[in-house]
Amino acid sequence: MSISANATSTAPVRPGGTLERWAERHLRVLMLAPTVLILLGLTIFPSIYMFYAAVHKISPNPDVPWDFVGPGNFLRLLSDQQFHVALLNTAVFTIAAVTVEFALGLGLALLLDKYIRRMTFLKTVLMIPMMLPPIAVAITWKIIYEPQFGVLNEIMFRLGLPAQAWAGDVDLAMFSIIVADVWQWTPFIFLLMLAGLASLPVEPYEAAELDGASSWRQFWDLTVPFLKPVIAIAVLLRVMDALRLFDLVFILTGGGPADRTKVLSLYIYQVAYRFADPGYAAAISLFVLFATIILSTWFMKRMRLAE
Amino acid sequence: MATAITIRARSRTREILIRLSAYLAIFVALVLTLFPIYWIAANSFKFDIDIFAVPPEWLPWHPTLKHYDEAFIQRPFLRYALNSFLVAMGTTIVSLVFGTMAGYALARFSYPWQWRKQISFWILSTRMMPPIVSIIPLYLFFNFFDMLNTKSALIIAYTAFNLPFATWMMKSYFQDLPVELEEAAMVDGDTRWGAFLHVALPLARPGLAATAIFCLIISWNEFLLSLIITLTEQSQTLPIGIAGRVTQYKTYWGEISAAGFMACVPIVIFAFIVQKHLVRGLSLGAVKG
Repeated sequence: MSISANATSTAPVRPGGTLERWAERHLRVLMLAPTVLILLGLTIFPSIYMFYAAVHKISPNPDVPWDFVGPGNFLRLLSDQQFHVALLNTAVFTIAAVTVEFALGLGLALLLDKYIRRMTFLKTVLMIPMMLPPIAVAITWKIIYEPQFGVLNEIMFRLGLPAQAWAGDVDLAMFSIIVADVWQWTPFIFLLMLAGLASLPVEPYEAAELDGASSWRQFWDLTVPFLKPVIAIAVLLRVMDALRLFDLVFILTGGGPADRTKVLSLYIYQVAYRFADPGYAAAISLFVLFATIILSTWFMKRMRLAE
Repeated sequence: MATAITIRARSRTREILIRLSAYLAIFVALVLTLFPIYWIAANSFKFDIDIFAVPPEWLPWHPTLKHYDEAFIQRPFLRYALNSFLVAMGTTIVSLVFGTMAGYALARFSYPWQWRKQISFWILSTRMMPPIVSIIPLYLFFNFFDMLNTKSALIIAYTAFNLPFATWMMKSYFQDLPVELEEAAMVDGDTRWGAFLHVALPLARPGLAATAIFCLIISWNEFLLSLIITLTEQSQTLPIGIAGRVTQYKTYWGEISAAGFMACVPIVIFAFIVQKHLVRGLSLGAVKG
């Protein structure tokens, strides 16, 4: 399995100076250390610093000293209506988008598994959306949704349906964001499910066939349990991505209309820059950070993803 | 006898129906996938008057490169693209060098007190951190060191997200390599470091290439951190340039279509290069496709 780095130190004398031999002996630490140090610097330090910022009132004017307010910013979270709206919007978006993507992706994978397995080129074409820059995806859908000359309203017109404002409509804005996200990320679920289906063992299905199990029973009793690890990873990664939704909203709606698409990332951005209140933004960020840490740790531990 | 034939005929019909619906589903999925991409490309080649046409012009009947000229010659989109490229390259090199070493260490060496598992887990969890939560400290940090609006600041910020990715990808590739070859090299007198450098690394070349391309894509696509850190065309990346042409008063449809389509082209090429590694890359090495 793994070779102990110490094994080399017992080997006969090797060429090289003392430094080289010392490096060789501590190789397992030296190879890991840069990454650990960089990540510590880029994650732990900002987190601590953020906590420091969150207990202060920070003026946009750099000459004004920070004003210590203790837990004030955190208490504001309880009464801030806009924060609650953002929290709700993020939850609605995450649940709706991931559910639809999952249903579509898994359904397509089950239907197409047998037929598309050898069509590598076609498969890659279907995967293109998720690789594209989210900003490019956002402007593409902005052009499609455009109320006056957009292609979607043309299709509505042809179908004899009334034209809509889509991303500009109070009731349809969140729906429009979800559609764009589903367009981009269904391929991701589809791809992972195809990979999972391709790795299924054949024998249990043959046995089930002999026993006369219906394909419905085979799906629930064989396919779902076998796919479980892949499903877990797919859902975890999608949920974590959905929670950080920013680009699509920034371009398509800017959080409006009437705050209907204001999600947490966008709200933090607005608080920090438009309302120029970095201290409070840091408090919200900490909340989001802890929520995602708890959620992802719980999930990863449960699914034993680390090993 | 007769019933047996009907049953077989019925299952044949069913088989054909499933096959037909599968091909239909593939067709619909292809149309839905490709139409938006086609549409932004088509719009980028139209004159403004044709972009605004109702009903829309399904094909650019009067193709023009006007918007490409506007974006890349008159406005600094070439500069933005170059910035994107340089930042992506820098991030990829840093992430790949350190991530490969860390990935190898986590795949091969043993550590006391289950550190291997704990550190792997911790590195993965840093990847789960939403970028928005780091914008305040990063902004203040780069402001303090007078690094706002520099490409190096972008590279540092992007590394925070690419390094965990590279580490996990390379760990997964190294775990797939047989350990015996490295052991043989060490029996022949190579050092531990030498076995990594001369045996494991060359074998992991496809994995290195795939990891590098994924890092390039992640960095090329990134928007939020760049929005915070950059201020002028000196360091602004392509997504920022595009977003900057969607203003409250006017959206420059032709320009953003041209720039947006150009931002997609390298990604599509990359997607085909890494198609064999897509599954592993997108699941951080957790699922092997």
